[in-house]
Amino acid sequence: MTRVNANRVMLVIAIMLAALYLFPLYWMYVTSLKTNSSIFAVPPEFLPGEPQWENYATIWDVANIPRFIWNSLVIATGVTVITGIVGAGAAYVLARYRNGWIDAALFTVLMLQVLPPSLMVTPIFVGFAWIGLLDFPRFAAILAISAKTMPFFVILCRAAFMTIPRELEEAALVDGNSRAGAFFMIVLPLARNGILISALLVFMQGFGEYVYSASIIADNRLQPASIGMTNFLQPNVVNWNAIMAFAATYVTPILAAFVLLQRQIVNGLTAGALK
Amino acid sequence: MGRWVQGLRDGIGFDTMLVLFALLYLFFFAGLPLIYNIVISFQSVDVFSLGSLVHPVVGIDNYTAIFADPLAQRVLINTLIFTIGSVTIQFTFGFALALFFHQRFPGATWIRGLFLAAWVMPGLVVGVLWNWLLSGDFGVINHVLESVGLIDEPVFWRSDVDTSLYSVLIANIWYGTPFNMILLAVGLAAIPDDLYEAAELDGATAFQRFWTITLPMMRPTIGAVLALGTIFTLQQFDLFAAITQGGPAGSSTVAQYWSWELSFREFDFGRGAVISVLMIVVVLFVSLIYVRSTKAETQL
Repeated sequence: MTRVNANRVMLVIAIMLAALYLFPLYWMYVTSLKTNSSIFAVPPEFLPGEPQWENYATIWDVANIPRFIWNSLVIATGVTVITGIVGAGAAYVLARYRNGWIDAALFTVLMLQVLPPSLMVTPIFVGFAWIGLLDFPRFAAILAISAKTMPFFVILCRAAFMTIPRELEEAALVDGNSRAGAFFMIVLPLARNGILISALLVFMQGFGEYVYSASIIADNRLQPASIGMTNFLQPNVVNWNAIMAFAATYVTPILAAFVLLQRQIVNGLTAGALK
Repeated sequence: MGRWVQGLRDGIGFDTMLVLFALLYLFFFAGLPLIYNIVISFQSVDVFSLGSLVHPVVGIDNYTAIFADPLAQRVLINTLIFTIGSVTIQFTFGFALALFFHQRFPGATWIRGLFLAAWVMPGLVVGVLWNWLLSGDFGVINHVLESVGLIDEPVFWRSDVDTSLYSVLIANIWYGTPFNMILLAVGLAAIPDDLYEAAELDGATAFQRFWTITLPMMRPTIGAVLALGTIFTLQQFDLFAAITQGGPAGSSTVAQYWSWELSFREFDFGRGAVISVLMIVVVLFVSLIYVRSTKAETQL
């Protein structure tokens, strides 16, 4: 077999594997466009018939999608702002020095990254109940989620800061900049791309978050889309086309962001996991 | 005052302030809860005593209640099956895919990237998708399995006590495989090509090259990936919430779900904290292994 033919065979296998793997996503979109009767067709209809776009319009109103998506956006924004402001500076310092204290701080951050939210939510909830934070449930959820995203963000941003040569900063100091001036004027702009991608990943985590929101936010006017969707999942559900339309509305923006920024997102995530 | 401000703008004061800010945040919202967790595991905390600082102390009663609970053994076995099953199968699929896409045919990187789409999706949405795919009467997976003759009648994946845990396991394997694949691909890319060329000149077969070059060179990466896989599997909650909610009759309950259920469904925060304390010890132990293996890797 020639090299070219071998490549073609590999390519065909690769496309088949990807198609098989992504079938659940395809099935989500196809189901979301079916009629109430054709979702229960036996055998299942693998190709969509006449697309039922009104499924999306119906679910938009019936399921209060705008309100749920708005709450998800509020939570994601809050988490990103807190994580970004508090985390970026720490990431910078952790990237600049190498000594016992820094190693200890880095180790602490790494260890805090692994704590499962479903286990941490019990003490956080009881503590928040005592200090009265549960009266501001959305804010309380943002604070709790930020403690989860912070270590992740610090590790990612630290990798971005490591790529900025120290000499640039020293040159700024020689030119009469203060330490803070060099950080804000030189280092932050240079590390901008890495920070933005890390912030985007934090935003996506906040946008899809479930455990803390479900435990802390009892008022359904303040709940995010992840909870909005579970409200549908009562036993014996039948309207799968509506649920899939909800799911598609929820994840399509995330998938679109991923398609646009795939390379940067993948680089960011792998840097965070292995460095 | 002037000197203090100067210290913040220049030199070590500025750096210390930046890092203390983050560490204080983490202390308040992760460190204190960790300690408080241990405290409430020895207390009786319900909806009535929730708002007060001091809860009735019950000693080790919560611990004995958990170990005596008829569900405890089931949950322990489920957690082991779910964790070991997820980690090994995700790793095997991930490694196979990483090796496949490492062949560097045209389009390989781009198609490999498509697999990662699953991984940026919220866990809850993934759970809802699989809930529908694995539906008993109208699920597309049952249909495919029946038409290829693997099963004779529909399997009620989510509502049968024998299969409910596996319905979540299948979803988790799908969800976690791309992460394993990409980390292992990074490790494969770091192995120098000339090692393989030299081995090929010496007449080593593909299998021998894999066994004597790939595996030994990948050892630190494999350690990190297995540890991370275990950590993420022990964090998995959303899929359970979206597919089986631990049921039926606790047949798909794992430790992290049980802890949450005790706290937020039965409002027995003391017993929820017991499982939380025990599981966090396990997670921290695994992450020590992870930190050690990443250290070994950076030294290479």
